[in-house]
Amino acid sequence: MVTEPLAQAAAAPAAAIKAEVRDLSFYYGDFKSLKGISLPIEEHKVTALIGPSGCGKSTLLRCFNRMHDLYPGNRYEGAINLFPDNVNILARDVDPIEVRMRIGMVFQKPNPFPKSIYDNVAYGLRVRGLRNKTELDDRVEKALKGAALWEEVKNRLDEVAFAMSGGQQQRLCIARALATEPELLLFDEPTSALDPIATGSIEELIQEIREQVSILIVTHNMQQAARVSDYTAYMYLGELIEFGKTDNIFVKPQRKETEDYITGRFG
Amino acid sequence: MQSARFLSKLTAAASATLAGIVFSFSVSASDITGAGATFPAAVYAKWAEAYRQATGKKVNYQAIGSSGGVKQIRAKTVDFGGTDAPLGEADLDAAKLVQVPTVMGGVTLVFNLPGVASGALKLDGPTSADIFRGAIQKWNDPAIARLNPGLKLPDRAITIAHRADGSGTTFVFTHYLAKQSAAFMREVGAGNSVNWPANGIGGKGNAGVATNVQKIAGAIGYVDIADAMLNRMNFVALKNKAGNFIVPSQDAVEAAAAGANFKVKGMAPDLLDQTHKNAWPITSATYILAYEAGANPDRQKGVVEFFTWSLRNGQKMAEDLGFVPLPESVVKMVEAEMKTIR
Amino acid sequence: MRAAQAPVDLHAEQVRKFKLQDFLFHQVTLAFAFLVLAALVGILISLAMEALPVFRESGPAFLWTNVWNVPEDQYGALSAIYGTVVTSIIALVIAVPVSFGIALFLTETCPVWLRRPLGTAIELLAGVPSIIYGIWGLFVFAPLFAAHVQPHLQAALGDVPVIGGWFAGPPIGIGILTAGIVLSLMVIPFVASVMRDVFETVPPALKESAYGVGCTTWEVVIHVVLPYTRVGVIGGIMLGLGRALGETMAVTFVIGNANRIVGSLYAPGTSIASTLANEFGEADPGLHISALFALGLVLFIITFVVLAISRWLIRRSVAKQGR
Repeated sequence: MVTEPLAQAAAAPAAAIKAEVRDLSFYYGDFKSLKGISLPIEEHKVTALIGPSGCGKSTLLRCFNRMHDLYPGNRYEGAINLFPDNVNILARDVDPIEVRMRIGMVFQKPNPFPKSIYDNVAYGLRVRGLRNKTELDDRVEKALKGAALWEEVKNRLDEVAFAMSGGQQQRLCIARALATEPELLLFDEPTSALDPIATGSIEELIQEIREQVSILIVTHNMQQAARVSDYTAYMYLGELIEFGKTDNIFVKPQRKETEDYITGRFG
Repeated sequence: MQSARFLSKLTAAASATLAGIVFSFSVSASDITGAGATFPAAVYAKWAEAYRQATGKKVNYQAIGSSGGVKQIRAKTVDFGGTDAPLGEADLDAAKLVQVPTVMGGVTLVFNLPGVASGALKLDGPTSADIFRGAIQKWNDPAIARLNPGLKLPDRAITIAHRADGSGTTFVFTHYLAKQSAAFMREVGAGNSVNWPANGIGGKGNAGVATNVQKIAGAIGYVDIADAMLNRMNFVALKNKAGNFIVPSQDAVEAAAAGANFKVKGMAPDLLDQTHKNAWPITSATYILAYEAGANPDRQKGVVEFFTWSLRNGQKMAEDLGFVPLPESVVKMVEAEMKTIR
Repeated sequence: MRAAQAPVDLHAEQVRKFKLQDFLFHQVTLAFAFLVLAALVGILISLAMEALPVFRESGPAFLWTNVWNVPEDQYGALSAIYGTVVTSIIALVIAVPVSFGIALFLTETCPVWLRRPLGTAIELLAGVPSIIYGIWGLFVFAPLFAAHVQPHLQAALGDVPVIGGWFAGPPIGIGILTAGIVLSLMVIPFVASVMRDVFETVPPALKESAYGVGCTTWEVVIHVVLPYTRVGVIGGIMLGLGRALGETMAVTFVIGNANRIVGSLYAPGTSIASTLANEFGEADPGLHISALFALGLVLFIITFVVLAISRWLIRRSVAKQGR
């Protein structure tokens, strides 16, 4: 079960690998919620994680920036290696803060900080010690442009972020993540709290920023996965059932379970 | 929320004043009620209990403070009032009240000076007054050294331990010091609460003062003799009018009473600084107030009966509690005086 | 015919009954609510009336006159106001950072198994009657403080300009500073448990997003948790301040009860509440009683102002945050 997707990945065109999950298991206390997952994340591509609720897709995503470290009783087994330096980001001697500096995240609900629009975007840069005003201005502008938000907010950067619409807030969160120029960007069902129009703009944005950053996205919306991703992984009950090019997965899935799920017979 | 808390304190204080009123409704018609000074409350309670066992009659006494006692008897809400500060002749006549003493006590100076034993420190009135008005700030002051030739006095700051709450003990003590020193009267004054100098710290109740003296090296304070003995405190030997240094005791208090003339209206002679050679200088009595002619003759009679019985049978009980009983001659005068209560 | 009508009647009667019940319930609860209002107004009016004589005597100068001389019948509230305010400030200066640390530890970094016992211990501390703190302060804390802390503080800070004077005078263990410290201990459980409760209301996603950009726990707390919970934190501090201002028994035990203002924090002083507790019982009728009622009125007003300021702060910060 594990070897099969890997074999598929190996068969894929030889592209640079940004990260590789190696036989990863994860425990909430005594409960094993991820069971021996192995998965490659290709550079400058969008990889989607799909599956029914409780399949472990969000859990897997949150392993990438060590978010589980915040809560006691959680335990990782196995490795996620980040390239090019081939470092296991789950290793004990790797500082989670270091990991989070390299891997950004956008959450399910837009969650700007209780600060101005400018300060939200500049936040991650300041945490990294950037104080130079002109450089900050440049990077904020670049990130907001990257998140297709600049034209809408350039005249009200001092306003509180909560005053924006939901879709704008989510794009602000993307800008906030982009500002620090991460190598990998995680999206945890980024459009589930948004209306269809805002959803469309976010999906478009994801397509565009693929040029700058590798992307891993969790979505419960299969059409979304089909629309935005290059690769898709189908998970069920903590196991990786099938992984491959999105076109292949949706057109002719190899496994029965995958087919049942994507054709709506299950889930 | 905290204002409610604070107000509950206020209400507590106010309800103490009200207690006398409410109380008179809550007891049966034949019961005697009194209210007033806290100082004699223990002995009145003891007497009331013994009196109930002996005669079956009930007496209730509410310790609400001397000024409360005077207020309640004037408002005619109680059958008798208790006070440590006796009323003057004019006040008694105006309110048509009879005043008699019941028991005596004394106030003593206590101190905490490492290396100096109880009774070893000698003071006289004027020096005490200078200490308690803040004019003498160090234990090795020449004025203290002159009275204690053999004693090694440290270069230590004096801390005055006084009562924080208004108190009959303060009333007696400050009146004594005011008699010794005009400067004390001018700067500190005499009364239930006075204007203590800057090196003073206030404690609540006799127990509070006793604690402060015991906890602070270099402290000197005043408490009633009963409490001082109870807490095994260090006494000051105080010079009396006759020139003798006296350590407080029940005998010394009785000696003070022996020389006093109780044949005055209100039976409240000045017991301070009596001339008897063994007299304790800071002696006082506590008093009750009753109506010359009350609305209810049964209760008027009840008050007289209770105190007559107590003065005859309760002297030992008073002594056990640290009070000093009235001399026999005075008891006879009190009995005669109480005949005017009708 | 009758059989058909009966249920209809029953229904109407039921409705009538319910209506009456609702009406009565409404009236009764309304009466209860007004009782509180009536009590508040009643207290205020009676305080003001009783305080009138002293204000007639000394006018508003009562508030800033530094004299409390019972034999001379001269009264001013300044020394009591000073003691109340200074002890409360000391209490908050100590209690706020400590409570903040406790609350943070409990919500952010405490191991799970320790969370519950620690939290319970703090709540228990809040339930200890104030007189216990007073007794402990007088019998245990003050002697230790006098012997082991005050002399060193004096040696270290006594010669520093401005603040040196705060530590002047004999180290007797009882005074304004001790009262402030004991108060801070009493206030900490309240402030800490309120802070902990509001810290727990921060949505995990918000904290995660800050962690997600690479923040340390400290940065998350300062930039996310605190701004998000500002209202609750202010509320908690004000609750503590309220308790400190009105606390009576514990302060009475350790403040030294001296009706005067001395610059040193080592010196004894008094607070409004402790002056009331001390002097009410044997106060002379007339101006003395009136002055005590006036002190009560002053405390009432200070408390009211503190409450009003906290409401205002909260409203302002809510408006600023656009929520």
